[in-house]
Amino acid sequence: MNKKEVFKLAKGFRGRAKNCIRIARERVEKALQYSYRDRRNKKRDMRGLWIQRINAGTRQHGVNYGNFMHGLVKENIQLNRKVLSEISMHEPYSFKALVDISRNAFPGNKAIAPPKKEGLAILI
Amino acid sequence: MASLSLCSSLATTSTLSQNQKSAVPAFKTNLNFISRSLSSLRLALPKQPLFVPNFSQTGAPSSLAESETEPITEFEPTVEIAEAEPKREEVFAVVMVGSRQYIVFPGRFIYTQRLKGASVNDKITLNKVLLVGTKTSTYIGKPIVPNATVHAVVEEQKLDKKVIVFKYKKKKNYRRNIGHRQPITRIRITSITGYQDSPAVTLP
Repeated sequence: MNKKEVFKLAKGFRGRAKNCIRIARERVEKALQYSYRDRRNKKRDMRGLWIQRINAGTRQHGVNYGNFMHGLVKENIQLNRKVLSEISMHEPYSFKALVDISRNAFPGNKAIAPPKKEGLAILI
Repeated sequence: MASLSLCSSLATTSTLSQNQKSAVPAFKTNLNFISRSLSSLRLALPKQPLFVPNFSQTGAPSSLAESETEPITEFEPTVEIAEAEPKREEVFAVVMVGSRQYIVFPGRFIYTQRLKGASVNDKITLNKVLLVGTKTSTYIGKPIVPNATVHAVVEEQKLDKKVIVFKYKKKKNYRRNIGHRQPITRIRITSITGYQDSPAVTLP
């Protein structure tokens, strides 16, 4: 890459790394290596995030993530985790239907107890 | 690209979930939904027939209107204030294209992998519909919803933004600098049809 391209990619870098070519070239190469690695890491991170979100959504209905996915697999529902996390965030009623289907397919979750009221909330 | 389509769909899903909860603020959010969707409506062809005012439209678009009047009779008790607008029903579907799943709304576009053999302004039907949701019920497919199809129009076939693939091994004098542009297709969703089977009803 010639100098102009290097400086274009070095926008926003700290200190001399955005102005001086010797330092900028090193930093830009490092940045490109990181982006190559992180394009692969992003897929892993996103999947973890979706799983966390699905877990939170299903635990509100008394089912944990492992049993939920097992139930879906048994019912041959092939929605992927990205879509499931979106549905759990934005379409709560559809998500509840999915959780019910999974619970019927694979029972083995405790019934939801009403949340214990602690402190001043007991008065309500 | 998948995240782009998600971002574009996130804005409307928020209005959809608000609509489900209460009718009174639904008036404002319906207007937001429509103003966004109207701007995208003008680009889409063919023109959608108006649902709520005239059921008596006959002729070529009647086949579309017939299949879509049934969900309207579900809506009329709930959509009491917002009758002036939506020319489209409030449905969403989860469709699988190019081995990726997308949440899809009528009137919005998504970017998918390049569909070979499709030229611009081609009508496309997507058959692998995994879930369809309306305001009152959800149709969950095992694995697909039978007879459900999503109709779409190809808008553009272009290349994605350039990604620089830079490989480097230190102290070994090895560096490779490669640019990559993935071919993608932009598809605008026109309608979601054919899903009246085995619903799991979800009441607000």
